[in-house]
Amino acid sequence: MATAAAAGVSLSGPIRTVPVAKAELLGRKPVRIGQLLPLQRRAAAGRGRVVVVGSAQSSTPPEISEKVEESIKKAEEACAGDPVSGECAAAWDEVEELSAAASHAREALKANSDPLENYCKDNPETDECRTYDN
Amino acid sequence: MASCTVHTAPYSFHCGSISRPAAKAFSLGFHQKHQQFIFFSSRRRRAVVCSAVEKTVVIGLAADSGCGKSTFMRRLTSVFGGAAEPPKGGNPDSNTLISDTTTVICLDDYHSLDRTGRKEKGVTALDPRANDFDLMYEQVKAIKDGVAVEKPIYNHVTGLLDPPELIKPPKILVIEGLHPMYDSRVRDLLDFSIYLDISNEVKFAWKIQRDMAERGHSLESIKASIEARKPDFDAYIDPQKQYADAVIEVLPTQLIPDDDEGKVLRVRLIMKEGVKRFAPIYLFDEGSTISWIPCGRKLTCSYPGIKFFYGPETYFSNEVSVLEMDGKFDRLDELIYMESHLSNLSTKFYGEVTQQMLKHSDFPGSNNGTGLFQTIIGLKIRDLYEQIVAERAAATAAAAKV
Repeated sequence: MATAAAAGVSLSGPIRTVPVAKAELLGRKPVRIGQLLPLQRRAAAGRGRVVVVGSAQSSTPPEISEKVEESIKKAEEACAGDPVSGECAAAWDEVEELSAAASHAREALKANSDPLENYCKDNPETDECRTYDN
Repeated sequence: MASCTVHTAPYSFHCGSISRPAAKAFSLGFHQKHQQFIFFSSRRRRAVVCSAVEKTVVIGLAADSGCGKSTFMRRLTSVFGGAAEPPKGGNPDSNTLISDTTTVICLDDYHSLDRTGRKEKGVTALDPRANDFDLMYEQVKAIKDGVAVEKPIYNHVTGLLDPPELIKPPKILVIEGLHPMYDSRVRDLLDFSIYLDISNEVKFAWKIQRDMAERGHSLESIKASIEARKPDFDAYIDPQKQYADAVIEVLPTQLIPDDDEGKVLRVRLIMKEGVKRFAPIYLFDEGSTISWIPCGRKLTCSYPGIKFFYGPETYFSNEVSVLEMDGKFDRLDELIYMESHLSNLSTKFYGEVTQQMLKHSDFPGSNNGTGLFQTIIGLKIRDLYEQIVAERAAATAAAAKV
Protein backbone atom coordinates (compact mmCIF):
# COMPACT_ATOMS: atom_id res chain seq x y z
CA MET A 1 0.00 0.00 0.00
CA ALA A 2 1.08 3.51 -0.65
CA THR A 3 1.07 4.47 3.03
CA ALA A 4 3.29 1.55 3.97
CA ALA A 5 5.80 2.56 1.35
CA ALA A 6 5.84 6.10 2.60
CA ALA A 7 6.18 5.32 6.29
CA GLY A 8 8.68 2.45 6.13
CA VAL A 9 8.88 -1.20 5.28
CA SER A 10 6.75 -3.85 6.94
CA LEU A 11 8.29 -7.28 6.95
CA SER A 12 6.84 -10.49 8.23
CA GLY A 13 9.82 -11.10 10.41
CA PRO A 14 12.03 -9.23 12.84
CA ILE A 15 11.31 -5.62 12.12
CA ARG A 16 13.90 -2.94 12.55
CA THR A 17 12.35 0.47 12.88
CA VAL A 18 13.95 2.87 10.49
CA PRO A 19 14.06 6.21 12.28
CA VAL A 20 12.01 8.48 10.11
CA ALA A 21 13.44 11.92 10.54
CA LYS A 22 11.30 14.97 10.21
CA ALA A 23 13.25 15.82 7.11
CA GLU A 24 11.90 12.77 5.33
CA LEU A 25 8.33 13.45 6.28
CA LEU A 26 8.67 16.92 4.91
CA GLY A 27 9.93 15.31 1.76
CA ARG A 28 13.39 16.78 2.01
CA LYS A 29 15.46 13.64 2.23
CA PRO A 30 13.70 10.36 1.52
CA VAL A 31 15.21 7.08 2.65
CA ARG A 32 16.64 5.44 -0.40
CA ILE A 33 15.13 2.08 -1.25
CA GLY A 34 18.63 0.69 -1.62
CA GLN A 35 19.13 1.25 2.12
CA LEU A 36 16.23 -1.05 2.91
CA LEU A 37 17.50 -4.11 1.08
CA PRO A 38 19.95 -5.16 3.82
CA LEU A 39 16.98 -5.33 6.22
CA GLN A 40 15.31 -7.92 4.05
CA ARG A 41 18.47 -9.97 3.88
CA ARG A 42 18.93 -9.86 7.61
CA ALA A 43 15.31 -10.69 8.23
CA ALA A 44 15.45 -13.65 5.89
CA ALA A 45 18.60 -14.97 7.56
CA GLY A 46 16.86 -14.68 10.92
CA ARG A 47 14.22 -17.11 9.78
CA GLY A 48 16.85 -19.79 9.33
CA ARG A 49 17.24 -19.60 5.58
CA VAL A 50 20.69 -19.57 4.10
CA VAL A 51 21.05 -16.34 2.22
CA VAL A 52 24.00 -15.86 -0.06
CA VAL A 53 24.95 -12.28 0.49
CA GLY A 54 27.18 -12.22 -2.56
CA SER A 55 30.18 -9.96 -2.87
CA ALA A 56 29.06 -7.64 -0.12
CA GLN A 57 32.59 -7.48 1.36
CA SER A 58 34.37 -6.07 -1.67
CA SER A 59 31.99 -3.24 -2.33
CA THR A 60 34.26 -1.60 -4.85
CA PRO A 61 32.52 0.30 -7.59
CA PRO A 62 32.46 -2.03 -10.62
CA GLU A 63 34.31 0.31 -13.00
CA ILE A 64 37.35 0.47 -10.78
CA SER A 65 37.12 -3.24 -10.05
CA GLU A 66 37.18 -3.98 -13.77
CA LYS A 67 40.13 -1.66 -14.29
CA VAL A 68 42.08 -3.48 -11.57
CA GLU A 69 41.36 -6.85 -13.16
CA GLU A 70 42.37 -5.65 -16.62
CA SER A 71 45.55 -4.08 -15.36
CA ILE A 72 46.57 -7.30 -13.61
CA LYS A 73 46.10 -9.28 -16.83
CA LYS A 74 48.08 -6.71 -18.80
CA ALA A 75 50.85 -6.72 -16.22
CA GLU A 76 51.11 -10.49 -16.31
CA GLU A 77 51.39 -10.37 -20.09
CA ALA A 78 53.98 -7.60 -20.03
CA CYS A 79 56.12 -9.48 -17.56
CA ALA A 80 55.82 -12.82 -19.32
CA GLY A 81 58.34 -11.56 -21.84
CA ASP A 82 60.95 -9.84 -19.70
CA PRO A 83 60.44 -9.74 -15.94
CA VAL A 84 63.01 -7.02 -15.27
CA SER A 85 62.07 -4.56 -17.98
CA GLY A 86 60.76 -1.09 -17.34
CA GLU A 87 57.46 -2.06 -18.98
CA CYS A 88 56.93 -4.84 -16.45
CA ALA A 89 57.61 -2.49 -13.54
CA ALA A 90 55.36 0.21 -15.02
CA ALA A 91 52.56 -2.33 -15.53
CA TRP A 92 52.68 -3.56 -11.94
CA ASP A 93 52.93 0.03 -10.74
CA GLU A 94 49.66 0.68 -12.52
CA VAL A 95 48.11 -2.31 -10.75
CA GLU A 96 49.27 -0.89 -7.43
CA GLU A 97 47.85 2.56 -8.24
CA LEU A 98 44.50 1.14 -9.26
CA SER A 99 44.31 -1.13 -6.21
CA ALA A 100 44.94 1.90 -4.01
CA ALA A 101 42.24 3.83 -5.85
CA ALA A 102 39.88 0.87 -5.40
CA SER A 103 40.50 0.73 -1.68
CA HIS A 104 39.93 4.49 -1.38
CA ALA A 105 36.69 4.13 -3.31
CA ARG A 106 35.58 1.36 -0.96
CA GLU A 107 36.28 3.56 2.06
CA ALA A 108 34.47 6.47 0.48
CA LEU A 109 31.44 4.27 -0.17
CA LYS A 110 31.43 3.13 3.43
CA ALA A 111 31.69 6.70 4.62
CA ASN A 112 28.86 7.88 2.39
CA SER A 113 26.41 5.10 3.02
CA ASP A 114 24.38 6.84 5.73
CA PRO A 115 21.96 9.36 4.21
CA LEU A 116 21.37 11.07 7.55
CA GLU A 117 25.10 11.66 8.02
CA ASN A 118 25.39 13.04 4.51
CA TYR A 119 22.46 15.39 5.04
CA CYS A 120 23.80 16.56 8.38
CA LYS A 121 27.23 17.27 6.99
CA ASP A 122 25.73 20.00 4.85
CA ASN A 123 23.02 21.14 7.25
CA PRO A 124 24.25 20.86 10.82
CA GLU A 125 21.88 23.46 12.21
CA THR A 126 18.63 21.63 11.37
CA ASP A 127 16.68 19.97 14.16
CA GLU A 128 17.62 16.43 13.33
CA CYS A 129 21.28 17.20 13.10
CA ARG A 130 21.90 19.21 16.19
CA THR A 131 24.27 17.71 18.73
CA TYR A 132 24.22 18.84 22.30
CA ASP A 133 27.72 18.48 23.69
CA ASN A 134 27.50 20.66 26.70
CA MET B 1 49.65 39.14 12.59
CA ALA B 2 51.93 41.52 10.78
CA SER B 3 55.64 41.25 10.46
CA CYS B 4 57.64 44.34 9.64
CA THR B 5 61.00 44.33 8.03
CA VAL B 6 63.19 47.40 7.71
CA HIS B 7 64.85 47.94 4.37
CA THR B 8 67.44 50.42 3.37
CA ALA B 9 67.20 51.63 -0.20
CA PRO B 10 67.11 49.94 -2.66
CA TYR B 11 64.31 48.00 -1.06
CA SER B 12 62.86 44.80 -2.31
CA PHE B 13 59.54 43.26 -1.53
CA HIS B 14 59.49 40.03 0.40
CA CYS B 15 56.06 39.05 -0.67
CA GLY B 16 55.74 38.01 -4.25
CA SER B 17 52.05 38.80 -4.26
CA ILE B 18 52.39 42.45 -5.17
CA SER B 19 54.79 43.07 -7.96
CA ARG B 20 54.03 46.74 -8.45
CA PRO B 21 56.75 49.39 -8.30
CA ALA B 22 57.37 51.15 -5.02
CA ALA B 23 55.56 54.34 -6.00
CA LYS B 24 52.18 52.68 -6.05
CA ALA B 25 52.60 50.77 -2.87
CA PHE B 26 49.14 50.72 -1.41
CA SER B 27 47.12 47.72 -2.26
CA LEU B 28 43.46 48.08 -1.65
CA GLY B 29 43.25 44.75 0.00
CA PHE B 30 40.96 42.39 -1.81
CA HIS B 31 42.54 39.78 0.38
CA GLN B 32 43.47 40.79 3.85
CA LYS B 33 46.68 38.85 3.81
CA HIS B 34 48.21 40.69 0.89
CA GLN B 35 48.06 44.21 2.16
CA GLN B 36 51.23 46.12 2.25
CA PHE B 37 51.85 49.53 3.68
CA ILE B 38 54.99 51.51 3.15
CA PHE B 39 55.93 54.28 5.48
CA PHE B 40 58.62 56.65 4.42
CA SER B 41 60.63 58.31 7.06
CA SER B 42 61.97 61.60 5.77
CA ARG B 43 64.86 61.85 8.19
CA ARG B 44 66.63 58.81 6.96
CA ARG B 45 66.35 57.10 3.60
CA ARG B 46 64.69 54.10 5.09
CA ALA B 47 61.46 52.43 4.28
CA VAL B 48 59.69 50.27 6.77
CA VAL B 49 57.77 47.66 4.90
CA CYS B 50 55.07 46.03 6.96
CA SER B 51 53.40 43.11 5.30
CA ALA B 52 50.52 41.21 6.74
CA VAL B 53 51.56 38.06 4.91
CA GLU B 54 52.47 35.13 7.10
CA LYS B 55 54.80 32.58 5.67
CA THR B 56 53.04 29.25 5.46
CA VAL B 57 54.52 26.44 7.54
CA VAL B 58 55.36 23.53 5.25
CA ILE B 59 55.47 19.93 6.42
CA GLY B 60 56.64 17.05 4.21
CA LEU B 61 55.39 13.50 4.56
CA ALA B 62 56.88 10.66 2.54
CA ALA B 63 54.58 7.68 2.31
CA ASP B 64 53.92 4.99 -0.24
CA SER B 65 50.26 4.57 0.44
CA GLY B 66 48.56 6.92 -1.98
CA CYS B 67 47.55 10.39 -1.06
CA GLY B 68 45.66 12.60 1.20
CA LYS B 69 43.23 10.10 2.53
CA SER B 70 45.76 8.30 4.63
CA THR B 71 45.22 7.80 8.33
CA PHE B 72 48.25 9.88 9.21
CA MET B 73 46.79 12.89 7.44
CA ARG B 74 43.45 12.51 9.12
CA ARG B 75 45.07 12.30 12.55
CA LEU B 76 47.28 15.27 11.83
CA THR B 77 44.46 17.52 10.68
CA SER B 78 42.36 16.39 13.63
CA VAL B 79 45.03 17.61 16.08
CA PHE B 80 44.63 21.07 14.60
CA GLY B 81 40.88 20.81 14.81
CA GLY B 82 38.25 20.28 12.18
CA ALA B 83 37.93 17.62 9.56
CA ALA B 84 39.84 17.80 6.33
CA GLU B 85 37.67 17.56 3.27
CA PRO B 86 38.24 17.68 -0.46
CA PRO B 87 37.68 21.17 -1.86
CA LYS B 88 33.99 21.78 -2.28
CA GLY B 89 32.66 22.28 -5.77
CA GLY B 90 35.85 21.23 -7.46
CA ASN B 91 37.02 18.12 -9.25
CA PRO B 92 35.57 15.15 -7.34
CA ASP B 93 38.75 13.19 -7.98
CA SER B 94 40.93 15.86 -6.44
CA ASN B 95 43.56 14.57 -4.05
CA THR B 96 43.67 17.75 -1.98
CA LEU B 97 42.26 17.98 1.52
CA ILE B 98 41.39 21.29 3.14
CA SER B 99 40.55 22.06 6.72
CA ASP B 100 40.49 25.35 8.66
CA THR B 101 44.20 25.54 9.30
CA THR B 102 45.69 22.86 7.08
CA THR B 103 45.82 22.05 3.41
CA VAL B 104 47.19 18.69 2.30
CA ILE B 105 48.39 18.41 -1.25
CA CYS B 106 49.33 15.19 -2.93
CA LEU B 107 52.63 15.18 -4.78
CA ASP B 108 51.21 12.81 -7.39
CA ASP B 109 49.69 15.97 -8.84
CA TYR B 110 53.17 16.89 -10.03
CA HIS B 111 53.51 13.87 -12.29
CA SER B 112 54.90 15.02 -15.59
CA LEU B 113 53.82 11.80 -17.29
CA ASP B 114 50.32 10.41 -17.00
CA ARG B 115 49.64 6.69 -16.86
CA THR B 116 49.85 6.15 -20.60
CA GLY B 117 52.99 8.25 -20.82
CA ARG B 118 54.64 6.19 -18.12
CA LYS B 119 53.66 2.94 -19.78
CA GLU B 120 55.16 4.10 -23.08
CA LYS B 121 58.41 5.10 -21.47
CA GLY B 122 58.44 2.08 -19.17
CA VAL B 123 58.84 4.11 -15.96
CA THR B 124 57.01 3.74 -12.69
CA ALA B 125 55.51 6.65 -10.75
CA LEU B 126 58.40 6.22 -8.31
CA ASP B 127 60.91 7.27 -10.93
CA PRO B 128 61.95 10.95 -10.79
CA ARG B 129 61.60 11.12 -14.57
CA ALA B 130 57.84 10.87 -14.12
CA ASN B 131 57.68 13.93 -11.87
CA ASP B 132 58.09 17.63 -12.49
CA PHE B 133 60.28 18.79 -9.61
CA ASP B 134 60.70 22.30 -11.01
CA LEU B 135 56.96 22.89 -10.87
CA MET B 136 56.79 21.32 -7.42
CA TYR B 137 59.50 23.65 -6.13
CA GLU B 138 57.96 26.73 -7.77
CA GLN B 139 54.50 26.12 -6.42
CA VAL B 140 55.52 25.10 -2.89
CA LYS B 141 57.74 28.19 -2.73
CA ALA B 142 54.88 30.35 -3.95
CA ILE B 143 52.45 28.98 -1.39
CA LYS B 144 55.06 29.40 1.33
CA ASP B 145 55.39 33.05 0.33
CA GLY B 146 51.66 33.57 0.44
CA VAL B 147 50.78 33.38 -3.24
CA ALA B 148 47.87 31.24 -4.40
CA VAL B 149 48.71 28.77 -7.17
CA GLU B 150 46.92 26.77 -9.81
CA LYS B 151 48.01 23.26 -9.06
CA PRO B 152 47.49 20.45 -11.58
CA ILE B 153 45.40 17.45 -10.56
CA TYR B 154 46.44 13.89 -11.21
CA ASN B 155 43.34 11.74 -11.41
CA HIS B 156 44.14 8.36 -9.89
CA VAL B 157 41.06 6.74 -11.36
CA THR B 158 41.54 7.71 -15.00
CA GLY B 159 45.31 8.10 -14.81
CA LEU B 160 45.18 11.47 -16.58
CA LEU B 161 46.24 14.96 -15.64
CA ASP B 162 43.11 17.02 -15.06
CA PRO B 163 42.73 20.83 -15.30
CA PRO B 164 44.33 22.64 -12.35
CA GLU B 165 42.64 23.75 -9.14
CA LEU B 166 43.31 26.87 -7.12
CA ILE B 167 45.21 26.38 -3.87
CA LYS B 168 45.16 29.32 -1.48
CA PRO B 169 48.00 29.58 1.01
CA PRO B 170 46.90 28.04 4.31
CA LYS B 171 48.52 28.40 7.71
CA ILE B 172 49.97 24.91 7.40
CA LEU B 173 50.71 23.17 4.15
CA VAL B 174 51.38 19.44 4.15
CA ILE B 175 52.92 17.91 1.07
CA GLU B 176 52.38 14.21 1.01
CA GLY B 177 53.63 11.73 -1.52
CA LEU B 178 56.55 9.72 -2.76
CA HIS B 179 59.16 12.46 -3.25
CA PRO B 180 58.78 15.32 -0.78
CA MET B 181 62.45 15.19 0.17
CA TYR B 182 63.93 14.03 -3.12
CA ASP B 183 64.65 17.45 -4.58
CA SER B 184 67.05 19.47 -2.45
CA ARG B 185 65.32 22.79 -3.17
CA VAL B 186 61.98 21.43 -1.96
CA ARG B 187 63.72 19.89 1.04
CA ASP B 188 65.00 23.31 2.10
CA LEU B 189 61.47 24.70 2.07
CA LEU B 190 60.23 22.13 4.57
CA ASP B 191 59.93 23.18 8.19
CA PHE B 192 59.55 19.57 9.27
CA SER B 193 59.69 16.28 7.44
CA ILE B 194 58.44 12.79 8.24
CA TYR B 195 59.14 9.48 6.54
CA LEU B 196 56.80 6.54 7.02
CA ASP B 197 58.94 3.44 6.62
CA ILE B 198 56.93 0.23 6.36
CA SER B 199 59.03 -2.92 6.34
CA ASN B 200 58.56 -5.41 3.53
CA GLU B 201 56.85 -8.08 5.62
CA VAL B 202 54.34 -5.64 7.06
CA LYS B 203 53.75 -4.08 3.65
CA PHE B 204 53.01 -7.49 2.23
CA ALA B 205 50.60 -8.35 5.05
CA TRP B 206 48.77 -5.03 4.68
CA LYS B 207 48.52 -5.28 0.91
CA ILE B 208 47.10 -8.76 1.21
CA GLN B 209 44.43 -7.47 3.57
CA ARG B 210 43.69 -4.61 1.24
CA ASP B 211 43.62 -6.45 -2.06
CA MET B 212 42.61 -10.05 -1.45
CA ALA B 213 38.91 -9.28 -1.62
CA GLU B 214 39.45 -7.68 -5.01
CA ARG B 215 38.52 -9.80 -8.00
CA GLY B 216 41.52 -10.58 -10.16
CA HIS B 217 44.04 -10.28 -7.36
CA SER B 218 45.76 -13.31 -5.98
CA LEU B 219 48.66 -13.84 -3.60
CA GLU B 220 51.01 -14.09 -6.57
CA SER B 221 49.83 -10.88 -8.19
CA ILE B 222 50.18 -8.95 -4.95
CA LYS B 223 53.67 -10.35 -4.44
CA ALA B 224 54.65 -9.62 -8.06
CA SER B 225 53.39 -6.08 -7.75
CA ILE B 226 55.52 -5.41 -4.66
CA GLU B 227 58.58 -7.08 -6.19
CA ALA B 228 58.32 -5.17 -9.46
CA ARG B 229 58.23 -1.82 -7.69
CA LYS B 230 61.00 -2.66 -5.25
CA PRO B 231 64.04 -1.65 -7.37
CA ASP B 232 62.67 1.83 -8.09
CA PHE B 233 61.49 2.16 -4.51
CA ASP B 234 64.89 1.29 -3.09
CA ALA B 235 66.67 3.58 -5.54
CA TYR B 236 64.54 6.71 -5.31
CA ILE B 237 62.20 6.66 -2.34
CA ASP B 238 64.08 4.87 0.41
CA PRO B 239 67.12 7.22 0.45
CA GLN B 240 64.84 10.05 1.56
CA LYS B 241 64.88 8.46 5.02
CA GLN B 242 68.17 10.07 5.88
CA TYR B 243 66.82 13.58 5.40
CA ALA B 244 63.68 13.16 7.48
CA ASP B 245 63.43 14.83 10.89
CA ALA B 246 61.28 11.96 12.12
CA VAL B 247 60.98 8.43 10.77
CA ILE B 248 58.19 6.09 11.79
CA GLU B 249 59.43 2.57 11.14
CA VAL B 250 56.86 -0.22 11.17
CA LEU B 251 58.27 -3.70 11.67
CA PRO B 252 56.86 -7.12 12.48
CA THR B 253 56.46 -7.80 16.17
CA GLN B 254 59.13 -9.57 18.18
CA LEU B 255 56.66 -10.65 20.83
CA ILE B 256 54.94 -13.34 18.78
CA PRO B 257 57.24 -15.79 17.03
CA ASP B 258 56.54 -16.16 13.29
CA ASP B 259 53.68 -13.70 13.22
CA ASP B 260 52.71 -12.93 9.65
CA GLU B 261 49.35 -11.30 10.03
CA GLY B 262 50.73 -7.88 10.75
CA LYS B 263 48.18 -7.25 13.45
CA VAL B 264 50.67 -6.78 16.27
CA LEU B 265 53.41 -4.39 15.25
CA ARG B 266 56.72 -3.10 16.46
CA VAL B 267 56.85 0.59 15.72
CA ARG B 268 59.93 2.77 16.12
CA LEU B 269 59.84 6.52 16.24
CA ILE B 270 63.26 7.76 15.16
CA MET B 271 63.73 11.42 16.01
CA LYS B 272 66.64 13.44 14.78
CA GLU B 273 68.52 15.39 17.43
CA GLY B 274 69.22 19.06 16.98
CA VAL B 275 66.24 19.86 14.79
CA LYS B 276 65.06 23.41 15.29
CA ARG B 277 61.86 23.71 17.35
CA PHE B 278 61.56 19.92 17.79
CA ALA B 279 62.28 18.37 21.17
CA PRO B 280 62.31 14.56 20.93
CA ILE B 281 60.01 12.57 23.18
CA TYR B 282 61.70 10.55 25.87
CA LEU B 283 60.94 7.90 28.42
CA PHE B 284 61.95 8.58 32.05
CA ASP B 285 65.43 10.00 31.45
CA GLU B 286 66.48 11.82 28.33
CA GLY B 287 69.57 10.45 26.65
CA SER B 288 69.69 7.20 28.59
CA THR B 289 68.67 3.75 27.40
CA ILE B 290 65.48 2.38 28.87
CA SER B 291 63.67 -0.89 28.38
CA TRP B 292 60.20 -0.81 29.85
CA ILE B 293 57.41 -3.34 30.13
CA PRO B 294 54.44 -1.50 31.62
CA CYS B 295 52.38 -4.65 32.21
CA GLY B 296 52.76 -6.01 35.72
CA ARG B 297 51.21 -5.42 39.06
CA LYS B 298 49.73 -2.02 38.38
CA LEU B 299 48.61 -2.67 34.83
CA THR B 300 47.30 -5.91 33.41
CA CYS B 301 47.65 -6.34 29.66
CA SER B 302 46.24 -8.96 27.35
CA TYR B 303 48.46 -11.17 25.18
CA PRO B 304 51.05 -10.40 23.83
CA GLY B 305 51.54 -7.41 26.09
CA ILE B 306 53.48 -4.22 25.47
CA LYS B 307 57.18 -3.52 25.45
CA PHE B 308 58.85 -0.12 25.21
CA PHE B 309 62.38 0.81 24.39
CA TYR B 310 64.02 4.22 24.40
CA GLY B 311 67.59 5.13 23.65
CA PRO B 312 70.06 7.20 21.65
CA GLU B 313 71.27 5.74 18.36
CA THR B 314 72.92 6.65 15.11
CA TYR B 315 70.84 6.61 11.96
CA PHE B 316 72.55 7.27 8.63
CA SER B 317 75.30 9.11 10.46
CA ASN B 318 72.82 11.36 12.30
CA GLU B 319 72.38 11.45 16.07
CA VAL B 320 68.86 10.26 16.84
CA SER B 321 66.68 9.23 19.75
CA VAL B 322 64.53 6.19 19.23
CA LEU B 323 61.30 5.42 21.04
CA GLU B 324 59.99 1.98 20.25
CA MET B 325 56.71 0.30 21.11
CA ASP B 326 56.05 -3.36 20.44
CA GLY B 327 52.64 -4.89 21.02
CA LYS B 328 49.14 -3.61 21.15
CA PHE B 329 46.89 -2.08 23.75
CA ASP B 330 43.19 -2.55 23.87
CA ARG B 331 42.08 -0.65 26.93
CA LEU B 332 41.83 2.99 27.76
CA ASP B 333 43.75 2.64 31.01
CA GLU B 334 46.73 1.06 29.23
CA LEU B 335 46.91 4.04 26.94
CA ILE B 336 46.65 6.67 29.66
CA TYR B 337 49.20 4.77 31.76
CA MET B 338 51.69 4.85 28.89
CA GLU B 339 51.01 8.49 28.14
CA SER B 340 51.63 9.49 31.75
CA HIS B 341 55.15 8.03 31.61
CA LEU B 342 56.23 9.66 28.33
CA SER B 343 57.81 13.13 28.44
CA ASN B 344 58.10 16.03 26.00
CA LEU B 345 54.85 15.12 24.33
CA SER B 346 53.84 18.77 23.77
CA THR B 347 50.33 18.06 24.97
CA LYS B 348 48.26 20.96 26.25
CA PHE B 349 46.65 18.92 28.99
CA TYR B 350 47.08 15.57 30.64
CA GLY B 351 45.50 12.84 28.57
CA GLU B 352 45.45 14.71 25.28
CA VAL B 353 47.13 11.88 23.38
CA THR B 354 44.61 9.39 24.75
CA GLN B 355 41.77 11.71 23.87
CA GLN B 356 42.99 12.08 20.30
CA MET B 357 43.41 8.33 19.97
CA LEU B 358 39.92 7.72 21.29
CA LYS B 359 38.44 10.27 18.94
CA HIS B 360 39.59 8.14 16.07
CA SER B 361 39.41 4.67 17.53
CA ASP B 362 38.00 3.37 14.25
CA PHE B 363 41.12 4.37 12.29
CA PRO B 364 43.59 1.61 11.51
CA GLY B 365 46.52 1.50 13.91
CA SER B 366 44.50 2.85 16.80
CA ASN B 367 45.59 0.08 19.10
CA ASN B 368 49.31 0.04 18.40
CA GLY B 369 52.36 2.21 17.97
CA THR B 370 51.43 3.47 14.49
CA GLY B 371 48.41 5.41 15.73
CA LEU B 372 50.19 6.45 18.92
CA PHE B 373 53.27 7.85 17.20
CA GLN B 374 51.30 9.47 14.40
CA THR B 375 49.21 11.27 17.01
CA ILE B 376 52.31 12.32 18.96
CA ILE B 377 53.99 13.64 15.79
CA GLY B 378 50.80 15.58 15.10
CA LEU B 379 51.11 17.23 18.51
CA LYS B 380 54.80 17.97 17.88
CA ILE B 381 53.91 19.65 14.61
CA ARG B 382 51.32 21.75 16.38
CA ASP B 383 53.98 22.76 18.88
CA LEU B 384 56.36 23.63 16.05
CA TYR B 385 53.72 25.77 14.38
CA GLU B 386 52.98 27.62 17.60
CA GLN B 387 56.67 28.28 18.15
CA ILE B 388 56.94 29.77 14.68
CA VAL B 389 53.92 31.98 15.29
CA ALA B 390 55.38 33.14 18.60
CA GLU B 391 58.72 33.90 16.95
CA ARG B 392 57.02 36.01 14.32
CA ALA B 393 55.11 37.93 16.95
CA ALA B 394 58.35 38.59 18.82
CA ALA B 395 60.02 39.73 15.61
CA THR B 396 57.17 42.15 14.93
CA ALA B 397 57.39 43.55 18.42
CA ALA B 398 61.15 43.99 18.08
CA ALA B 399 60.88 45.64 14.67
CA ALA B 400 58.15 47.96 15.89
CA LYS B 401 60.46 49.29 18.59
CA VAL B 402 63.01 50.41 16.00
